[in-house]
Amino acid sequence: MNFEIDAAIQGPLAALRERGRDEARPIGLEADRLGRPIPVDDPYFAKLVARGEGRTRWRGPDGERKARSKPKSTGSRPSRRTVKTLLFVEELAYWDRGVVVANPGVGLPEANVIAMGTDEQKERFLGPFLTPDRPRWACFAMTEPGAGSDAAAIQTAAQKDGDHWILNGAKCFIGNATRSDWILAQATVDPSQGRDAQRAFFIEQGTPGLGGFRIEKKMGLKAYESTSFTLQDCRIPDANLLGGEARYEKRDGFKGAMKAFNAGRPIVAANAVGIGRAALDEALAFAREHDRLADARVRDRLERAARKLKVARLLCLKAGWLADQEKSNIIEASMSKLVAAQVGQEATSLGMELLGTVGARGDHLIEKLYRDVKALDMVEGTGQIQRIIMARKLVGLPR
Amino acid sequence: MFDFEFGEDLELIAETAKSFATDALLPKLREHESARAVDATVRASYAEMGLAGLELPESLGGADLGALARVLVNEELAAGDAGAALALDPLGPALYPLLEIGGEDAVREFALPLLETDAARAIFVDAADAELEVGTTISGSVPWVPSDRVDLLVLLRDDEAIVVRDGIEIQELRGSGMRAAGASELTLTGAPIAARFEGRAEAARARARARLYVASLLVGVLRQAADFSREYAIEREAFGRPIAHHQGLTFLIVDMLAAVDGARVLLHEAAWRLECAAAGEPAAAMAFAEAIETSTFVGPNAVQILGGHGFMQDYPVEKYMREARALGLSIGGLDAAREDAWTALADAGSHVQLSHLEVAP
Repeated sequence: MNFEIDAAIQGPLAALRERGRDEARPIGLEADRLGRPIPVDDPYFAKLVARGEGRTRWRGPDGERKARSKPKSTGSRPSRRTVKTLLFVEELAYWDRGVVVANPGVGLPEANVIAMGTDEQKERFLGPFLTPDRPRWACFAMTEPGAGSDAAAIQTAAQKDGDHWILNGAKCFIGNATRSDWILAQATVDPSQGRDAQRAFFIEQGTPGLGGFRIEKKMGLKAYESTSFTLQDCRIPDANLLGGEARYEKRDGFKGAMKAFNAGRPIVAANAVGIGRAALDEALAFAREHDRLADARVRDRLERAARKLKVARLLCLKAGWLADQEKSNIIEASMSKLVAAQVGQEATSLGMELLGTVGARGDHLIEKLYRDVKALDMVEGTGQIQRIIMARKLVGLPR
Repeated sequence: MFDFEFGEDLELIAETAKSFATDALLPKLREHESARAVDATVRASYAEMGLAGLELPESLGGADLGALARVLVNEELAAGDAGAALALDPLGPALYPLLEIGGEDAVREFALPLLETDAARAIFVDAADAELEVGTTISGSVPWVPSDRVDLLVLLRDDEAIVVRDGIEIQELRGSGMRAAGASELTLTGAPIAARFEGRAEAARARARARLYVASLLVGVLRQAADFSREYAIEREAFGRPIAHHQGLTFLIVDMLAAVDGARVLLHEAAWRLECAAAGEPAAAMAFAEAIETSTFVGPNAVQILGGHGFMQDYPVEKYMREARALGLSIGGLDAAREDAWTALADAGSHVQLSHLEVAP
């Protein structure tokens, strides 16, 4: 048993903290004040790319060949990739979760493309992200106006037409969609068949039929764009079906998407912990400045918020550690997300309470965090959905 | 770097404690409760496991396995019967002031003889839980201790430990919970002080270990309460399906299990911290506070899930509800734990330290 963060992680964490404080937080506050996403041509993005951020973790065709020819070492130490990621994500979210999502890179679809994509697809779609010449984005489009947490109910239709597919439907709340080189969109060949009939397609920006872009106005997390769009008789070549048709004959189309969601739950949890921690620090600083700490009621509430955030962080790291051990983490991943979103919200709400009417002015960081954190109880499955996922395992709740 | 596994040695010990709790304690839950004692054959089989010296230094013939082993064993034993767990441990948390403040000599003189005496009990009393006046002698009362006999009383104050062997009058009580260990009020009238050991930092460490001791019993009870009511809800049908599948209960059951897991991971982290890293004391206070808060949620709701049956003593959940509440009252209870946890946060400057996990600001 060990809960230590070793020096190899503390170094990068310290660097993230510095950049978060100097760059992400001011830019996030500005985007919130102006009520618009960070513009595509903002020098901030170019700066990130110039210093090597926004790259894919896919190692390129040569890297992949090398990895394949190298026999898997046995008895090696287990990976700690997820745990590391969770710690970094928490620190990034502490400074500004919205800016993190806005940052250039492949983002959400990356894991699926690496896991399921053909060699040709990886080269075409991830290749430009190896050493990007400019800020580049990609995005994953699952959610529809009528299908959020119930991802098996999506209606966007994919119809085979010779060596093409015709897509029709509507997607919403898709991060960075207008600025993405390509959109990995989930569609169904037969809505009555649920998840087994789902397929994912690469839709390149500018494809005829992809349009109707509308950047949503949101309560918080304004630094990145959440966008609705439509697909009208959008013709997509066979080569853009993720993994190729053969893969879907094995009926794991939906599982591909769900796998990504599963890996994402502790990450969402870490985001909520980061935001909650930021709110708690601000609340403590405010209370200290205003001589409120002699009040036991104030102390008790701050203590409780800190304690609950610690619980959430440990549950989240445990879920990540299980993933690194390649052990099932279905219950733990959902639990961490359920708990973290709640306690993150509570911490920001407590911060508002301590601010008093200062919180009602609408110009305090805590007020922004209070709005920002709410999204995390929705994305990747609401808290209610997490309970249902857990209940299937814990009490055999039927689907 | 993070490792949520306990390691082979600890897992083996926990497994042993679990088998014992399942085979020997759980079936005799009510028997032990009404007898106010654990029966002799169970005591004998417990003694064979050699858990009595779990935390004793090797130089005193112990296994020196520390706080993590203790919390794992306590959790398993308490999942069987928290009262029996207390009754079976002759030293209990009374070991900590002796060991931390008095050192090995104090343990040798006061604690070791108890290990040779059948059913002996050393009783830990936190100054916050008693009304005692300390001068050259000690007088006053302790409203409740979970025991019907006191071979040794160890009083923990903020800066010292006081050992009392004689002059203790014992008045049996009904007891709200843990009756298998007994329940008494203690009255001291000019009781002679057998020994006194001073040290503020050492006293804080002793209190932290005592909190982990009780918190781990609590977590064991809560885990069992949550599991029992979950399994009941899968079996029991109403309105044509298992009651666990009615969403009002589904969500409650899931939330209870999440609460127990949260309290549990905090407990393990605190034990690790106390053993291997810095700032174990506030972590232990936080873990105790979390276990207590969780008990107020899980205890009564475990009864709720069983409905009318939950209220009846044919099922164990009413016992879990009583015991979870009573366990959380000692060592100054929730308020004192929160205050101690807070102190560490306040000392952290403007940057809140959740567990000293983050890099220095």
